[in-house]
Amino acid sequence: MTVQTERPPSGPVDVTKVDQRGPGAQRPASRAGALAPYLLLLPACAATVLLLGWPLLKDLLLSFQNLNMGQLIQHVTEWNGIDNYKQALTGEDFWRVTGRSILFTAVNVVLTMLLGALVGLLLARLGKRMRVTLLIGLVLAWAMPVVAATTVYQWLFAQRFGVVNWVLDKLGWHSMADYSWTSSQLSTFFVVTVLIVWQSIPFVAINLYAATTTIPGELYEAAALDGAGAWKSFTTVTLPFLRPFLYATTFLEVIWIFKAFVQVFTINGGGPDRLTEILPVYAYIEGVGNQHYGMGAAIAVLTILILLVITAYYLRIVLKQEEDEL
Amino acid sequence: MKRKLITAIGVAAMLVSVAACGGDDGDSGDKAGADGYAGQTLTVWVMDGSSPDQWQKDVQAAFEKKTKAKVKFEIQQWNGIQQKLTTALSEENPPDVFEIGNTQTPAYAKTGGLADLADLKSTIGADWTESLNKSSIYDGKQYAAPWYFANRVVIYNKKVWADAGIKDTPKTRDEFYADLKQIGDKTKAEPIYLPGQNWYHFVGLTIGEGAELVKKDGDKYVSNLADPKVAAAIETYKKFQALSKAPKDKDEATPQQAEVFAKGNVGAFIGMGWEAGTAIAANKKIESDIGYFTIPGATADKPEGVFLGGSNLAVAAGSKKQALAKEFLKIALSDKYEGELAKLNGVIPNKESLQSNLTGNAVAEAAAPAAAGGGTTPLIPEWAAVENAPNPVKTYMTAVLNGKTPAEAAKQVESEFNKRLAQQQ
Amino acid sequence: MKRSLFSRIWPNATAVVLFVGFVFPVYWMFATAFKPTGDIISENPVWFPTHITLEHFKTATGVDHFWTYVTNSLIVTVCAVVLSLAVALAGAFALARMRFKGRRGFIIGFMLAQMAPWEVMIIAMYMIVRDASMLNSLVPLTVFYMMMILPFTILTLRGFVAAVPKDLEEAAMVDGCTRAQAFRKVILPLLAPGLMSTSLFGFITAWNEFPLVLVLNKEAEAQTLPLWLSSFQTAFGNDWGATMAASSLFAVPILILFVFLQRRAVNGLTAGAVKG
Repeated sequence: MTVQTERPPSGPVDVTKVDQRGPGAQRPASRAGALAPYLLLLPACAATVLLLGWPLLKDLLLSFQNLNMGQLIQHVTEWNGIDNYKQALTGEDFWRVTGRSILFTAVNVVLTMLLGALVGLLLARLGKRMRVTLLIGLVLAWAMPVVAATTVYQWLFAQRFGVVNWVLDKLGWHSMADYSWTSSQLSTFFVVTVLIVWQSIPFVAINLYAATTTIPGELYEAAALDGAGAWKSFTTVTLPFLRPFLYATTFLEVIWIFKAFVQVFTINGGGPDRLTEILPVYAYIEGVGNQHYGMGAAIAVLTILILLVITAYYLRIVLKQEEDEL
Repeated sequence: MKRKLITAIGVAAMLVSVAACGGDDGDSGDKAGADGYAGQTLTVWVMDGSSPDQWQKDVQAAFEKKTKAKVKFEIQQWNGIQQKLTTALSEENPPDVFEIGNTQTPAYAKTGGLADLADLKSTIGADWTESLNKSSIYDGKQYAAPWYFANRVVIYNKKVWADAGIKDTPKTRDEFYADLKQIGDKTKAEPIYLPGQNWYHFVGLTIGEGAELVKKDGDKYVSNLADPKVAAAIETYKKFQALSKAPKDKDEATPQQAEVFAKGNVGAFIGMGWEAGTAIAANKKIESDIGYFTIPGATADKPEGVFLGGSNLAVAAGSKKQALAKEFLKIALSDKYEGELAKLNGVIPNKESLQSNLTGNAVAEAAAPAAAGGGTTPLIPEWAAVENAPNPVKTYMTAVLNGKTPAEAAKQVESEFNKRLAQQQ
Repeated sequence: MKRSLFSRIWPNATAVVLFVGFVFPVYWMFATAFKPTGDIISENPVWFPTHITLEHFKTATGVDHFWTYVTNSLIVTVCAVVLSLAVALAGAFALARMRFKGRRGFIIGFMLAQMAPWEVMIIAMYMIVRDASMLNSLVPLTVFYMMMILPFTILTLRGFVAAVPKDLEEAAMVDGCTRAQAFRKVILPLLAPGLMSTSLFGFITAWNEFPLVLVLNKEAEAQTLPLWLSSFQTAFGNDWGATMAASSLFAVPILILFVFLQRRAVNGLTAGAVKG
């Protein structure tokens, strides 16, 4: 379970090495060889088309339909053009939820990356025994299944007998003694954020730590010869080396956190008063919960488009790098 | 490890082939052969707590004896039931018979998912109480059969009340409040467990105030929560809720209020009579301490308004066992078993003539005085959408309990409420 | 001197605080699960369970069909992970080792596939499965879970394959192995840690999934553990002992697997993280 990055500076030379072999070096079975990569990719592509492409297409089709309880039960197809989109895009709910979703993702990703990177660098500084101890702690948090973790957080933050409220009360914050964390938008988001950041930090930290162990020592020596201090060598050696990891990890965190349906939905069902609905939760509540399935499908399509826009920057980087490689 | 993986793959492969064969299941015949319906199984969905084990067992036995077919009861939770029911009704093998709340029946009747039960009405339903049958009729057709009705009562812990030195049950709302106060002052128990979103009780209070939840605006229904009568109802609710430590943003099913009550340190809760059974199942020792009384109204001569909750039994239009399903209804709704259900659960049966089963039943005696003044949510197809989570009425309640004025809260949920009432069907 | 003492202490002190922060929720789950109810709902938390009880575990496993859920979860998870590893390995090998037209397109394609927000497509998936008469079966679950983890598996494995020195493979081919043989005899053993650490992600995803199984499988015979856990929580919301016991039971297999695989995959982790 690691981050896979696109061509770090010390990057692979093997790919280009293949290029250097002239056409004469090709083996006789070259025609079969030319087909080989496609054959190897066939199962994966077939699965993707069938199991992802088909539901996507179906969802797209549903988004142009008026599909409610009656139509679903009767298996009736009732096209209604772009009504669902019109209704979603002209209502203020959708845009409010979109803005909230983006803010929610941004806050969580920034916190996760920042804290995760710091923990990762700390791991590199620790002695062996302390490092293993901390690693165990991180792995335990990382391995907690989301459904179980969400349940545990509800208990930690429970209004009555929750340990968090008890601690806050003992710290002198007496109004928190019987505080209901699900009673307001901010406090609900607070619990969700703590949960998500707690679960995401280990992934970032451990990967980053693993990456720092591969930084060649000579780079630091060279920097020291140039008279670089600790900060300078961090910015000139560590950071550039880690950049691809940071990009790749951020990309993964963005998509994981943007899609954090289970956490948000389980902690408070998008409540109170629908104030903590993020896009996937909104799509679910409007579609499945409200039995307005066509509308839900339209919101789903829009959600996918928004996710694409958010990640477009990274995808472009990858696109360019892969181009350079070939 | 390796061998296990191989076994697992083997299992998966097997599943594929089993599933592949599963499709052409030709036996969907509904004819009663020489052997009756032998070999068939009827699936019946009943809601959690609505029918006691004893009743299920007896009906099962009678059904099997008469038809030679089996019946399988599947217990459903109210939470998320509409989503589950909608998808189930669209499937190839829907539940053949299912319990459906009276407030949800019109919407499902409109979808075409319910079979027409006109013939059943004429054979066994001639003397169904008309007011209770109202929700089953849509567009003049009979889409369900009335099963049972019930209204909420106060279920209280006699021991806690005795500890507080209270001798008699309260007759007015003020007495009720004073008694609860006294429990709070004199004992360590929580006077009443009343979560912020026991919304059927709130609907009862609005009925007591003579308020309507929706009003007509032209040909559309819109929210009527801003009505001062609704505000009066929520103020009453708020006053009592303040005595409870229960969460303000949860309903009575999360957690099950009867289970909280079963722990023995709660004075009372407002619930269905059969919830006492849930409490007893959780803690046998509580049985002898449980008592019931009518929810007291503003004056001693008139009990509090109550929501007349009820359930109908319906047959899925897509069921391939229509005849068998009707056989089941004939047995389940027969005087014998309808009477047994009334007796065991203290619920109002679907015929006046069966009321006698309720004499001597503590729950029924507490419920009966209020039933006459009971009512329901609007029986319109548009209503079911309102009950989908997040239910705007619940949002309204929590908002008021958390300090908003009723007018502010009504304004806050108005657009959501109206949107649902106007939702395309 | 003073400064160096300080700089030696703060990383360790921070590490201790972090350790406590990360472990506490997990610890609290287990601690609550083993405590008698009286200790759970007490005005002052009981930090260490003194009177161990198994009563909550009895409540949690006493639910009807519990073992069916366990079996179903295991079958679905293991099959999905194994299938996706097999499918992904072939694709990853092509992407990491071969040059061909459209390679970039495939990579971007899988990256896009990785972003699929499955939860919002539930109803589309439901209708597909319903119309194929495959409801209440483990097969659609298995293949959809396989798909949910496939893109990540391919992209990650690609890094691991690339990390295996090309020379080794070439040497084997010089020794007369075919490419397939070289792959099996040389690359595959070196890939083992990578396969293991990649499979972890798959295990967690498939083990956790519940929105899909909730709508696809209404019959208890075809349901999985996450449904049991979430329904349990609704019904016993305030019975934290039983809820935590259920959570513990649900988490334990993954925790064990993680600790076990993580240790064995630690080399792979470092190697795979830096794509060779």
